[in-house]
Amino acid sequence: MASVSEMYDVGWEEMRDKLRKWREDNCRNSEQIVDVGEELIGEHASKLGDDVWIIYEQVMIAALDCSRDDLALTCLQELRKQFPDSHRVKRLSGMRLEALERYDEASKHYDAILQDDPTNTAARKRKISILKAQGKSTEAIRELNEYLEHYGKAAFCLEELMMTNPHNHLYCEQYAEVKYTQGGLENLELSRKYFAQALRLNNRNMRALFGLYMSASHIAASPKVSAKVKKDNMKYAAWAAAQINRAYKVS
Amino acid sequence: MPIQLTSQAYCKMLLHAAKYPHCAVNGLLVAEKTKEKKRDSHSEPVLCVDCVPLFHGTLALAPMLEVALTLIDTWCKENNYVIAGYYQANERTKDSRPNQVAEKVAARISENFSEAAIVMVDNSRLTISCFEPIVLIYDHHENKWKSREVTPDCFEDWSEAQKITSALLDGRSYENLIDFDNHLDDLRNDWTNPVINKSVLDLC
Repeated sequence: MASVSEMYDVGWEEMRDKLRKWREDNCRNSEQIVDVGEELIGEHASKLGDDVWIIYEQVMIAALDCSRDDLALTCLQELRKQFPDSHRVKRLSGMRLEALERYDEASKHYDAILQDDPTNTAARKRKISILKAQGKSTEAIRELNEYLEHYGKAAFCLEELMMTNPHNHLYCEQYAEVKYTQGGLENLELSRKYFAQALRLNNRNMRALFGLYMSASHIAASPKVSAKVKKDNMKYAAWAAAQINRAYKVS
Repeated sequence: MPIQLTSQAYCKMLLHAAKYPHCAVNGLLVAEKTKEKKRDSHSEPVLCVDCVPLFHGTLALAPMLEVALTLIDTWCKENNYVIAGYYQANERTKDSRPNQVAEKVAARISENFSEAAIVMVDNSRLTISCFEPIVLIYDHHENKWKSREVTPDCFEDWSEAQKITSALLDGRSYENLIDFDNHLDDLRNDWTNPVINKSVLDLC
């Protein structure tokens, strides 16, 4: 079977840079990460310098996703040798146990980390993931609420995210979708405003454009609104429709 | 009237699930529109000739679902199709029961097509060889969704479906599958999946 470098005519530097990009973008393209990463660490580990450790971590997690326990173990062992007392590596050991569906052992693993460091959010999140994987939704939600004790519900979380990331059009757009789904005239109007805001932040966000059209149309069609509100929303909807048509024409 | 699946419909559902193994995925099943008068023979199965992959990850937010249903409905009218069913693959491997989202969408579809069915993918049996059908089909009876026994008769041609799906999964064709989410990310992405449809035709 041809190697990645042969198939795509790339050198080890390009492979390393690709892995970095995927790390930065938080992509979960595990099959590709395994293909590229396995070859990189198999044949070029010595050239990677200190990057090699974060690459071991990235490839290990991708290997778990692809049921490649052999590769995951190899990466884990290298990390354990280099960072024997690390909580971050312990968390990876826990993730491997989760992948093997040894949930009780994994949970104990994370409890040990939390005993040592109660503020370790990564371990707390893994414990919630275990509950989710086991289908224990109610308990997962309870733990999540405790973890987010200053927050509460999805809309509130997104509100916090929007406040700390005011330029992020995606949070804005998702908040608008949540409000729309919650329903009711007030939420619809809020959703329209947030779709509009998302568009201001990124005028090519199609979801925001569609969302603006849908929310404005529904508001205009509601029997509870005044003639002026109806007229304004019909204008917004018409504008959004024109933009959508234009976007399709140029695509 | 029970539904039947063509190879194209079946394999695109599985490709969608395989493309996003860590997410829930869903989509719509479409059938060719028949004249109203023909439908007195209740033993005639409804052939779902194609499916449209919708979303991955978050399935339950309303606005994009409405947009998708509207656009796909228009496409159906242009192609003499009707939306006849809904498919879903849940996030967790061991969970293959239809949830509230599935029931809500299916109820909406039933307003226009009385024999709408829910097709759930049984994630725990998803393999590359596809040696057995891994879907569960639910029909609406007496206000509840009940699952029906799935046999090779639920397919237009099971051995063809098996062969094609297995070949496409093995060749990682799912990397090129486009769902509605991908379309919203970039309008040039075509959710009718002409490339995959051609691959299916070539393998027939």
